[in-house]
Amino acid sequence: MLAQVKSWWRALTGQSRLAGEMASEMDGHMERYASDLMARGVEPGEARRRARIEFGSTAAAAEECREAVGLRWPNEFGRDLRYAVRVLRKSPTFTAAAVATLALCIGANTAIFSVVDAVLLRPLPYPAPERLFSVARHFQGKGSESYQTNLWGSAWEAVRDNATYLDAAVFSDGSMGVNFAAGGGVDYVKQQRVSAGFFRVLGIKPLIGREFSMNEDRPAGPAVTVLSYALWKRVFHADPSIVGQAVTLRGEPHIIVGVLPAGFRSIVPADLWTPLRPSRSGEGGGSNYAVVARLHSGASWAQANGQIEAIGAPLMRQYGQDASTRLRLISFQRGLTVDVRQPILILWAAVGVVLLIGCVNIAGLLLARAAGRTREMATRMALGSGRAALIRQMLAESVVLGLCGGAAGTGLGWLGVKALKALTPASLNLWQAVDLDWRVLAATAFASIAAGILFGLYPALAASRLQIRAALGEAGRAVAGGRNPWPRRLLVTSEVALGVVLLVGAGLLIRTFAHLRGLNPGFDAHNVITAELSLQDARYATSQSVNRLFEQSLARMRELPGVESAAVTISLPYERALNTGFQRMDGPHVDTESQITNMFYITPEYFRVLRIPLLRGRVFTAADSSISAPATVVSEAFVKMYMPGDEPVGRHLDLGGGEKREIVGVVGDVQQKSGWGDGAPTAAMPDIYIPAMQVQDKFMQLVHTWFSPSWTVRSAGPAEGVIAGMQRALESVDPQLPFAGFHSMEDVRYRALSQERFQVVLLGALAGLALLLAAVGIYGLIANSVAERTRELGIRLALGATVPQAIRSVALPGVALALAGVIVGSVLAAFATQMLRHLVWGVRPGDPLTFAAVGVGLLGVAAAASFLPALRVTRLNPAETLRQE
Amino acid sequence: MGKQVDILQGTLDMLILKAVSLGPLHGYGILLRIQQVSKDALQIPQGSLYPALYRLEHRGWIAAEWGESENKRKAKYYRLTAAGRKQLKSERQEWKRLAVAIGDVLAAEPEEV
Repeated sequence: MLAQVKSWWRALTGQSRLAGEMASEMDGHMERYASDLMARGVEPGEARRRARIEFGSTAAAAEECREAVGLRWPNEFGRDLRYAVRVLRKSPTFTAAAVATLALCIGANTAIFSVVDAVLLRPLPYPAPERLFSVARHFQGKGSESYQTNLWGSAWEAVRDNATYLDAAVFSDGSMGVNFAAGGGVDYVKQQRVSAGFFRVLGIKPLIGREFSMNEDRPAGPAVTVLSYALWKRVFHADPSIVGQAVTLRGEPHIIVGVLPAGFRSIVPADLWTPLRPSRSGEGGGSNYAVVARLHSGASWAQANGQIEAIGAPLMRQYGQDASTRLRLISFQRGLTVDVRQPILILWAAVGVVLLIGCVNIAGLLLARAAGRTREMATRMALGSGRAALIRQMLAESVVLGLCGGAAGTGLGWLGVKALKALTPASLNLWQAVDLDWRVLAATAFASIAAGILFGLYPALAASRLQIRAALGEAGRAVAGGRNPWPRRLLVTSEVALGVVLLVGAGLLIRTFAHLRGLNPGFDAHNVITAELSLQDARYATSQSVNRLFEQSLARMRELPGVESAAVTISLPYERALNTGFQRMDGPHVDTESQITNMFYITPEYFRVLRIPLLRGRVFTAADSSISAPATVVSEAFVKMYMPGDEPVGRHLDLGGGEKREIVGVVGDVQQKSGWGDGAPTAAMPDIYIPAMQVQDKFMQLVHTWFSPSWTVRSAGPAEGVIAGMQRALESVDPQLPFAGFHSMEDVRYRALSQERFQVVLLGALAGLALLLAAVGIYGLIANSVAERTRELGIRLALGATVPQAIRSVALPGVALALAGVIVGSVLAAFATQMLRHLVWGVRPGDPLTFAAVGVGLLGVAAAASFLPALRVTRLNPAETLRQE
Repeated sequence: MGKQVDILQGTLDMLILKAVSLGPLHGYGILLRIQQVSKDALQIPQGSLYPALYRLEHRGWIAAEWGESENKRKAKYYRLTAAGRKQLKSERQEWKRLAVAIGDVLAAEPEEV
């Protein structure tokens, strides 16, 4: 068997060598025979002639030899392909239309698949990634389920101590910018906090040194750090003796204990790592940890998951989770992608639908073409070609089309990947680069060939089912309705229906985006520059030192020419804010349990800088200091949610610790990224503001491990020189503190909706493509029917039908089919849009306006696509059409 | 492309295997040897010899090698492989059985039936 495969392969790859060998072997045979004949006295010319005649046809013998070594199939395939290319080159318009359609569809698929593959499919770049898991909270509601991977300190301890099938570690989701000083330079680098054993669990051995020990990974443990290869190379020029030396991180000396290998790709962008030091209180009192675990060899997922569920049951009760929330073990990759998984899958489905529409379109074109080739087919069958051979031949044509479309699509896909990279939120380009690699290319090749067979099979079957006599005798001479038009009509209807689904989906996302964009930001973003910097720094461990920095730097910034006001806030509008618990102490509602709200510390001028309106009471002044009575300003949404119908000014809140804080004012709402509540991308959340002067040391330190405060400066006009001025102002107060970069508030607002923009742009583009394809499909159908019915129309016109009547009779089927498609598509869309439930805001998935707009719009396009080709009827000359033949 | 599926096809394979079992031969040599041994009783159509050779080589029963022929010309020599030897043996037994069976049938007298 193996010998045969080898012989076949040798024959296949060395076809020209084989041909040469056969020829020389047979020539040799004939020469020998001829010389034998001559030896018997035959005259040379006659001997050669006889040798040739008796041997018979060398070409036929060679062909039989080739068949004998298994070359028949590849030979016929090659012949089919060559013929297909010739046929396609003869009808360049059809070929160009089909290849362009496919190129667009396959290009879109290639680009989207590169993201799907990098984020969801390709395994994580760590050893044995299938044994890596996340411990997640699984919520099962009616018709919906969700995962959350953030856990409390006590939950981590329970997992660590009781999950015997797992080697677990814990880390802080996301990375923080911190100040890094080494060798005389200051840098702003990304730091991720991870526990002891984190890299062991991932399966990564440090290049030099070691990872954190248990002793380092506990509260008040020694200050140590592990560097990324890139940072080590950039700052220390890959000096191996660096391990054991100190660098200044967050203003505090940290000993470098290790450097990670060059190929390591972290799960969030990070330049260095510090111990997480997990605990039950402080940070660990909230759900701020994520757990990664490796299954011990020999243990199964079922065993480990059972254990995790048992560990989780009392914890979920303790944290007041919904009764249907359980702790579960999910694959680490799934855990890392909980937020992006669904949007990506929706996009994938959408490009799949576009490809399907493209295939339907080309199938329609092929059907129309097949009608014109009836005579060719019939002739070939009459000459003895089998039906299978005809089908194979036509499939070869569609596979060639598929491959050409695939090749062009790969080019478009490459451009698409580049565009996607520019548009992609950072959350999609992490542990695997989004790239056009061999996996994506293989998928594209597969899709191209599959598409070729998909759109080619039915037309090929239909075209080869014919009566030779009838086809040869009568083809092209039918007066009316010779050929069954329904297969093509069904194709057009289904393509309109699929288009409706995509358009409705895109329409809902566009409406969502418009809604989110249209929400009142609550502040004036013009002429405001902002810059954040990390205060996770040993020199700024006290509230007093932080406030001195704020005061001095802000005072210098206010002196800059053109600057009107300046302030610091712990987080900006449109960013995710700190959330905290509080209790109402007086008024109609007095709490015994904590309520949740967003909280900001700010310097007094903050509301002036952003022009957030004061609605009641007063804002902070310099008099609200560490020695004056605790004061707070709340937002309108806060009043609406927690103090409806009550006069908030003068009421008191407890923000923890029993300290009475008086509400002194109410300000307007601003849009924020909501970390809690209904999960809308941005919303006017309940906010409370407190003066930075009144923040306690311990709380300030804790807050600064998660948040970098932002300096905000309003200038009178365009911000020329303000940025440099802000930098100088800060340097003159503390030369070791770098700003992480400057942004206008408009940028901040723009970035806040990057994921929504990404979805809208992509799905919108895909839906536009679907609309275009549907229009082309209808146009093709009607144009073809005009051409087919020329004679019939000529007779009608001659018999007294008016031109408008003739136009209507040709065009109306197109509109009717589109109407059917819209109805079917709307029903499909009503189901499909349920998938979008979690992505749609400010509009219901069944939004009648969107459905109506899509329906009317599609019918309009369909009418245009039907009547445009039908207008050709006006150019018909009845006398001429009748004289044809 | 009408194929002539006749009994000779299998027989031809066997004859070729037998011919090359006596020593390596080129295609024309095989033809001559079969004619010579059969005392010209068997005439092999020249054109069908080569497809058979390629088929046998493809199956691994014979192996080919280019060498020099008696008159200093290049020729492709075929020889029997181990697998071919086995095949020849089994075909020979098969043929004997068939010949005996056919002989029995032809020798049958009316009263024996």
